[in-house]
Amino acid sequence: MTAQSASLPLPEDLVPCILPPELVARASTPEPAEAAAVEGRAVTVARLLDHLAGPGVEALRSLGFRTRLQLLARAGERFLDPEDPLRLEALERLPEESGLSPRGALELVDGMARDWTLDRLATALRSDFPDPDVLDGFRPGVRGDRLRVVPPRLLVQVGAGNVPGTGATALLRGLLVGAPTLLKPGAGDRVLPELLARALQAESEALARGLAVVGWRGGEGGELERSALRRADRVVVYGGEEAVAAARALTGPLTPVVVYGPRVSFGLVLADATSADGVLDDAAAAVSAYEQRGCVSPHLVWVQPGGTRSPKAWAEALASALAHHAGTMPSASAPVHEMRVLREAAEFRAAAGGGDRVWGGPGAGWMVLFEDEVKGQPLRPFEPSCLGRTVRVRPLPDPAELASLLAPVRHLIQSAAVEGAEPGRTTTALLLAQAGVTRVTTFRDQPWPPSWWRHDGQGPLAALVQWVTLEPADRAGPK
Amino acid sequence: MESEGAHLRDRLLELMGGGGAEVQAEAEAEVEAEVEALALGILRYQARANPVYGTLLRNRGLDPEALDHWTRFPPVPARAFRDASPYIEGVGAGPPEAVFHTSGTTGAPGVHRVRDLSLYHGSLLPPARRHLGLHELAAGRERGGAKESGTTRVLALLPPPDVHPTSSLAHMAGVLVRRFDDGGGGFLLSADWHLDVAAVAEALARARADGVPVLLLATAFALVHWLDLSRAEEWTGIRLPPGSRIMETGGYKGRSREVERPVLYHALSATLGVPPERIVNEYGMTEMLSQFYEPVLEEGGPSDPSIRRHLGPRWVRTRVLDPVTLEPVPQGQPGLLCHLDLANLYSAALLLTEDLGVAVPGPTPRHAPGFRVLGRGPGAIPRGCSLSLEDWMRATR
Repeated sequence: MTAQSASLPLPEDLVPCILPPELVARASTPEPAEAAAVEGRAVTVARLLDHLAGPGVEALRSLGFRTRLQLLARAGERFLDPEDPLRLEALERLPEESGLSPRGALELVDGMARDWTLDRLATALRSDFPDPDVLDGFRPGVRGDRLRVVPPRLLVQVGAGNVPGTGATALLRGLLVGAPTLLKPGAGDRVLPELLARALQAESEALARGLAVVGWRGGEGGELERSALRRADRVVVYGGEEAVAAARALTGPLTPVVVYGPRVSFGLVLADATSADGVLDDAAAAVSAYEQRGCVSPHLVWVQPGGTRSPKAWAEALASALAHHAGTMPSASAPVHEMRVLREAAEFRAAAGGGDRVWGGPGAGWMVLFEDEVKGQPLRPFEPSCLGRTVRVRPLPDPAELASLLAPVRHLIQSAAVEGAEPGRTTTALLLAQAGVTRVTTFRDQPWPPSWWRHDGQGPLAALVQWVTLEPADRAGPK
Repeated sequence: MESEGAHLRDRLLELMGGGGAEVQAEAEAEVEAEVEALALGILRYQARANPVYGTLLRNRGLDPEALDHWTRFPPVPARAFRDASPYIEGVGAGPPEAVFHTSGTTGAPGVHRVRDLSLYHGSLLPPARRHLGLHELAAGRERGGAKESGTTRVLALLPPPDVHPTSSLAHMAGVLVRRFDDGGGGFLLSADWHLDVAAVAEALARARADGVPVLLLATAFALVHWLDLSRAEEWTGIRLPPGSRIMETGGYKGRSREVERPVLYHALSATLGVPPERIVNEYGMTEMLSQFYEPVLEEGGPSDPSIRRHLGPRWVRTRVLDPVTLEPVPQGQPGLLCHLDLANLYSAALLLTEDLGVAVPGPTPRHAPGFRVLGRGPGAIPRGCSLSLEDWMRATR
């Protein structure tokens, strides 16, 4: 970063542009009417980053983790209050800005904000730091060591993709560990980060000092994007291969980068669970949540034969459940052309003598493709759906086969909803763990991982910090 | 049924052989009627001779004999060539004369078994003559003020077809080299797709020294790769003889950095001295034997590739369908491209592609309307942190 380029003012077209109030106040003119117009413009890139990494760090540290936790939860819980203007604004703006139905927006805000409460945030903290006092000072470790964690002085989080809410959760995670955070929300995920940032600013001046939510188009953030990534102590990137590569290219070569790349999820219904109607309803809801755009959304469900419902009958029942779901929560956006392509191919395979069946289609806003096994041929490995509430259902006589079916994609697989009684469920989970799955859940919980989940296999809060060990001066015994 | 197929084949070859663009107005109506009649005949024949297609119709409650127009038949999805490749075997016939594989950009490769190569060659040559300027060259006409010699140097940035017998593109290039090359051209990539920049430069220099106009055949991927390598080796380019042109085809298949077509054409133009309006995009798919071309040589442009259109030969019809209803979209709206290709007599003549496109009128009413390919992604649909099919293929490659 050159001193000259960093002294450039922030671009005018940043949406949203939530900055530490002190910067904006100093940059504003005395006339309130003009204050909004100059907001952001007179703030230079360098001043913003200096502020976050300076007064921002101090402000967050001075709060201590307990106070931060309470303040964050107070702001987060506002989104569960039916009367709160921020929640109402979110529900009004989300359908248009994020391509959700009004009902989908409601489900999303409830599902996300459920994890922004005091209890859930505290659980998340304890999950990653069983002794959370390490966030504020040295605490006893093993063999006389003492340990504490230090947050980055500047955490830059690049949201991508369009699952609304991930940016807001990312912001909470950063502030919870005391990291001054610059968040660039994904293009379709601006509403909740912006509104949450406003709630945080209203809650605490100290929190407000340590956060900025600024939107730009990926790769088009100019000096702000370059300087922020170059200067960050730690970077978190959500997004596909290209977004990650672009962010890495701008990040210092030795700076740790935490990547949440695209992932896919699936379901497995063991024979003893095929009779449960509740499982079908939950599966339909899991497929429908966020219009199936989440990394947690199931693309394919393997069904074990031998139960009350055959895999084909289960697929047909899932179709009914999806149709019912679509009746109460219609699809807001469907990839109709890809759905048509998959549907026609399925019909052709059926005509060719396969046992394939298809229900729904691009006009219905959901689709179930039953893809029967072909006698004498090996089972087909995992394949994604085209999204738009499209789900493949395939028979799987022996769950042990999952190891090979998932082998080509073990780096992309995330959540598996496994439905069935014990000990089958745990036995299967052991297999799945070996196959690359990082979360075994149920269809009911699949779209809504709890705040304390190990995101893609690692603690999301622990991933943000650095540990410091204070070794004893008088360690006894041999080295 | 076998004789019915043979009869349809003969009529088709006659139609293909009936000249290029220069059809008189009264003959045009006749040709139109013949295409319509052949289309209906071929689809009914396929419904009878291909049990899978017959079952597909039956599953939808359709009686092929009762359908009175080809547009009422259900299309076969291009993806079907992966699962149960449509093929009508001849009675007592040997193996297919060629077996082409798709590149597998979106999954397992598809297979197109070609029972009768004469249909492929018959469908390939007339549009190639017309849209790659091979017809005019043979006639030794003047074009754009440059006197053309009547011969062509056909250079293909492709591996030779004999080492890649399953590549329909290499096969097509092989036919063009055999038919139209003056003897100095050929294939410039090795069997393992290796590109030798020096060898390409030498071949181009030889064409220039001989004063023979070049037809350069290449995929967009190979052109980008070649330009990158040439730049790295500080090769500054060469001006190809007047009348030279380039046929560019195919996507990038995720193997090279993607470059916008106007940028690529500009770079090619600067490197080879071939103006952008002499760079022709060919759009073809392994699943269909006929090809589409941009009629820029014939119409003198436009040079901007983003406002061009593709045209098929007279035995091909293209419809733009609403993905939800499979009915035609209103003029100018995007939809799924559905092609009727009568050359696919022994596989599937009515194909539903995975490509989005839009119908485009000709520059004047006397110019045939065509279509423009808009690519595969629906674009506006947000993807989230899940994977799109395209991303998936890249990620699992």
